[in-house]
Amino acid sequence: MSDSIIVRLRRANPVPEADAAPGAELFARITSLPGDSRLAASERPRRRHRRAIVLAFAALAAVVLASTAFAISHWLGPDLVKPPVTKQEYLAAQKQLTLPPGYSWPTFRFPPDAENSVTTRGAGGGHAVTAAQWSWECYWVTAIRTHDAAAAARAQAALNALLAHNTYEAPAGAPEDWTPSPLPTRPFQVYAHDGGLGRIRAGYRLAAAGDASRIAQSCRVNAPG
Amino acid sequence: MFAHLGAVAAYARRRGSRDADAVAAEVMTIAWRRLSDVPRDDPRPWLYATARNLVRADARRSARTAAHGDGEPTDLAPPPEIPELDPALDAALSSLSRLDREALLLVAWEDLTPAQAAHSLGINATAFRVRLLRARRRLRARLREASNGSNDETTHLDLETT
Repeated sequence: MSDSIIVRLRRANPVPEADAAPGAELFARITSLPGDSRLAASERPRRRHRRAIVLAFAALAAVVLASTAFAISHWLGPDLVKPPVTKQEYLAAQKQLTLPPGYSWPTFRFPPDAENSVTTRGAGGGHAVTAAQWSWECYWVTAIRTHDAAAAARAQAALNALLAHNTYEAPAGAPEDWTPSPLPTRPFQVYAHDGGLGRIRAGYRLAAAGDASRIAQSCRVNAPG
Repeated sequence: MFAHLGAVAAYARRRGSRDADAVAAEVMTIAWRRLSDVPRDDPRPWLYATARNLVRADARRSARTAAHGDGEPTDLAPPPEIPELDPALDAALSSLSRLDREALLLVAWEDLTPAQAAHSLGINATAFRVRLLRARRRLRARLREASNGSNDETTHLDLETT
């Protein structure tokens, strides 16, 4: 693009050079945070590889963060909590949520040396809501395929309750890390305002009409355990 | 993706962010959490769009704080201004709509192709090209008006027609 206006703008660029690559500390800090759960769920073959990378960086982050604990905690702000809190949230949420018969709560694993890693407050509860949702979806698929109407009705009711009481959709234009305010006392998960929640509801409507294809796909990629 | 952290910080700085490094770090954190949304072949349009939202949100917060200020000292600066830009160009850019200005700057400063810039703005490439063409015309007209206002400085502006 050689237009004179563009050329003039380029010459006037107030920051002509980008900075150097990120420091290892920042990289480690970011990658020690929980990654994209959707990616982990949909790309199982890559998950182990990524988990190994995250583990490696989490270990590095633990060393770095331990030496600069005050500065890091100041930088990260008050809405991030350490693994014991997240684990406690996860365990507490299990008492407020139900799983279908035959299902058990998946183990919530943190890297062994990640005591200084952090995650968003409420993420433990959100993890439990997601695990419950995926379990009920799989249960529903089986119920539809075995023509077990009672089980299907139970799954539908459980999933509707999860969407009604434990699921929020961020408002349009909300920041990526939006959480309801005040923070709900019951476990919750948040969907971005990008149509994802609508697609899930549509999948449940199909399942209620006897078409398990959409939730079967979700079960296939997200099946807990 | 992390290789673009410097470029994202530079983007935020060019858009007047007072803490461009923090914006860039936040963009990378968001990208990490939403990795499946980030295009793998070229994440820059996505990263710049996220940075744009953060810079604007910060500017809105600053504006609200200023509007509700009670005279107490504050470390919050006024809404973003493009730093160290020549005044005529700065004034001409400021007179454009936000989308026109961003279309020009994505191409001129972020060195994105029109297709990449269109992606970053969430519009299709054809719409972007039309917007860019109009933005260039408007900027040129503003600069010409400014130059006519200052009489004999037209040669200094080195304007051409397309």
